[in-house]
Amino acid sequence: MWRVLVVEDDAEMRDFFAGSVARCADLALAGSVGTVAEARAWLDDASNLVDVLLTDLGLPDGSGLEVIRHCVSLHPRCEPLVISMFGDEDNVLTSIEAGALGYIHKDATPDDIAQTILDMRAGASPISPMIARRVLSKYRADQVNAANAASIGAEVAADSAGPAPDAAGNAPTRQLLSTREQEVLAHIARGFSYAEIARLQSLSVHTVQSHIKNLYAKLSVHSRSEAVFEATRMGLI
Amino acid sequence: MSLRHWCHRCWLGLVLWLALIPLMALTAQAQGPTLIFQTAQAEITVQGQTTQRQVSLPYLRDREHPAQSGWMVFELRFSLAAPPLEPYGLTIPKIGNGYLVYLNGVLLDRFGDLTRHDRADAKLPRLIAVPPGVLQSTNLLRLMVGADVGRQGGLSTVTLAPMELARAAYVPFWRWRVLGMQMVAIFSALIGLIGLLLWLTQPAVRADGTVGRDAVYLYGSLAEFCWVFRVADSVLESPPLPLPWWSVWSALSLWGWSSLTVLFCIEVVGWGKSGRLPAMRRWLGVLGLLGLGAAVAARVYGWPPALTVWYGLLGLTFLLFSLALVWQALQRGAGLNSRLLAFAILVNVLMGLIDLYQLRVNPSMDGRTSLYYSSVLFGLIAALIVLRRFSSVSRQAQHLMSNLNSLVQHKEQALSISYQRLENIAREQARSGERSRILRDMHDGVGSHISTAIRQLQSGRASGDEVLQTLRDSLDQLKLSIDAMHLPPGDITALLANLRYRLEPRLKACGIELEWAVDELEPVAGLDAGAMRQLQFMLFEAISNVMQHAQASQLRIEAQQTAQGVCIGFVDNGSGFDADWASKQALKALRARAQATGLQCTMLSQPGRTVFEIAAGRAVLSASIV
Repeated sequence: MWRVLVVEDDAEMRDFFAGSVARCADLALAGSVGTVAEARAWLDDASNLVDVLLTDLGLPDGSGLEVIRHCVSLHPRCEPLVISMFGDEDNVLTSIEAGALGYIHKDATPDDIAQTILDMRAGASPISPMIARRVLSKYRADQVNAANAASIGAEVAADSAGPAPDAAGNAPTRQLLSTREQEVLAHIARGFSYAEIARLQSLSVHTVQSHIKNLYAKLSVHSRSEAVFEATRMGLI
Repeated sequence: MSLRHWCHRCWLGLVLWLALIPLMALTAQAQGPTLIFQTAQAEITVQGQTTQRQVSLPYLRDREHPAQSGWMVFELRFSLAAPPLEPYGLTIPKIGNGYLVYLNGVLLDRFGDLTRHDRADAKLPRLIAVPPGVLQSTNLLRLMVGADVGRQGGLSTVTLAPMELARAAYVPFWRWRVLGMQMVAIFSALIGLIGLLLWLTQPAVRADGTVGRDAVYLYGSLAEFCWVFRVADSVLESPPLPLPWWSVWSALSLWGWSSLTVLFCIEVVGWGKSGRLPAMRRWLGVLGLLGLGAAVAARVYGWPPALTVWYGLLGLTFLLFSLALVWQALQRGAGLNSRLLAFAILVNVLMGLIDLYQLRVNPSMDGRTSLYYSSVLFGLIAALIVLRRFSSVSRQAQHLMSNLNSLVQHKEQALSISYQRLENIAREQARSGERSRILRDMHDGVGSHISTAIRQLQSGRASGDEVLQTLRDSLDQLKLSIDAMHLPPGDITALLANLRYRLEPRLKACGIELEWAVDELEPVAGLDAGAMRQLQFMLFEAISNVMQHAQASQLRIEAQQTAQGVCIGFVDNGSGFDADWASKQALKALRARAQATGLQCTMLSQPGRTVFEIAAGRAVLSASIV
């Protein structure tokens, strides 16, 4: 049974999500709070344990992203989910980079909410075609930039007989997505469901779902490594 | 004492003094005697009549017979204590125009022809070696000299001395009349070459704004080249032309040098726009023609006064011009160039007039041309002016380039600001367009659905499911509207994929199984954000119709690339709907929406099959509902 913490400022919506969790036999409502401060306090309490964080982004005293980061730092095994009104790509991608492993629409039915949480714990993360397209587009742009940097680095190395300076810095980008993950993302971007992709790619649905969840984790790590790389490049670290 | 004799003695004294300094120094070391002959027994022949008499040296034939050529024999007798064993030399500063030199019957040297003077003219000082054994105790030095009209023919003083002393006496004359002239010619040639190169390579902006070449460089260059010819005449004893014509050429070279110098000065001083310039040019041309005539008369037809008069006319012209230059240079505000030029021209004119007097009016055997040396002063000042002008023009060019760069930078900045302004306008227009689109979406989508829900609730006739359906439609429209903000223009694959993502939960809720057959489609040109949003609306409405009216359990969505564009097909297994009714209701709105956005939409509906065709630009979008 997975313990769920709900962070939502709207009381009715919080009760709705809390009720949806409580109704599911495989889930247990660990707590429900309405602000960042309350969430931090709840998470800081060592007696509180949590497996799934369900948080809204727009909170009265801050962003749900702060709650996600705080939760991940205190409870590394906890899997955060974002409550999103529209599941739009900007908010979702920002959440993913903060450590979220999925999102739930506010207008989802109680059964859908519980099922999404259970699916995520089982290894499946939701992703929209728009987000898949955005991730692919960013990944391809990074690849082009890395190729250009490698080319320039090779020229510099040829001139100075030294190592290409950008080769190490872009290594995380080049290794971010496997070929299979790229294929899965491309099919999602074209509108195919997990089941259809599994059939087209001769994979199991679970494998497809795992690819997406791995992708979420990679995006989060990549986001952090990018930040470190940029900070190093700018001399901040 | 006349002025002529005074000048003559001064010049002679100077040269002898210069010659005797080393001579006296060497005499102390040399053993043999030094003899300087200042008189001679002469046999002078004019037009076949020969007279004999004692003459003083130097003897200038032009003074006694200015318009007649002829030849003379000078005999110098002298005795020595004993025949010398060492080599001796004869130093003769001037002998000519042609000559034979005998000592005790031995021919020591000869040049030219005594009776014909059309090929050679001895102008240079002579150092004639006297071989040992020729000199005796009693000696006769016999010099036979042929003299042409107006060429300073005759014999100067003669010095006999041991060779070292004779050479020492010869060197000053050689330096002044050979080496000095060669250096002047080389100097003038260099200045002329520099001026010519500058004229060929340096463009100048004229007063009318056109770009041409700077005449100052050309005038200065040609003047110096003319001077090279003039100076060459003083050292060339065997010129490339017959002597009379070479002399004509030399006279014209002098005219060329002086005329081009005047034009050079006019350009430098800035008199180029003066109304008197054409008259001056004409007069210079007349001077040239007169010079040609005078030179021919003097050299070819043997009437020297013609050339003397012409030299006088030339000197007068330049005297007046130099006075005008001096007057201008003395004015307040006159530039350094003007003052330097005035000084140089004045010095040259004065030297020229002195030369004229000594060579033509009152000729002497030792007459020399001071103008050759004073012309160096003009050459130096001309070179200085040319270099200052070049430097000034270069600075102006740099200044212009700097101004041009500055102008280009200003223009670039203005252009950048203009581009920035245009970008801001375009951005503002895009924002305005986006605001309009969102407002239209809110009006057509969310606003319309919420209004419908309110009316449904107010009427009390609608069921809870119907109100829920309306509100879900509203929320879906809102989500699609937000998604449309990120749709790449023309990317129908993304549009369809997103539509499925948003509407599939509702299809499932309606019990409709979805079959997806969408190929990877090329972006369609001409479908901008607005058109994409309209297409999204139309497809949403089509799916809504299937969900609400078709009573289907399966829906197949197809999309293929065609030659015309993209074909989108919706296939369901429902009962279909009445085309007439549809055209009057929802499908009528679809057609209007397509037309309003520039898309062409045709629709065919019959039981079990309804077809939409939508065209955008050259691409045709076929949306068929069967």
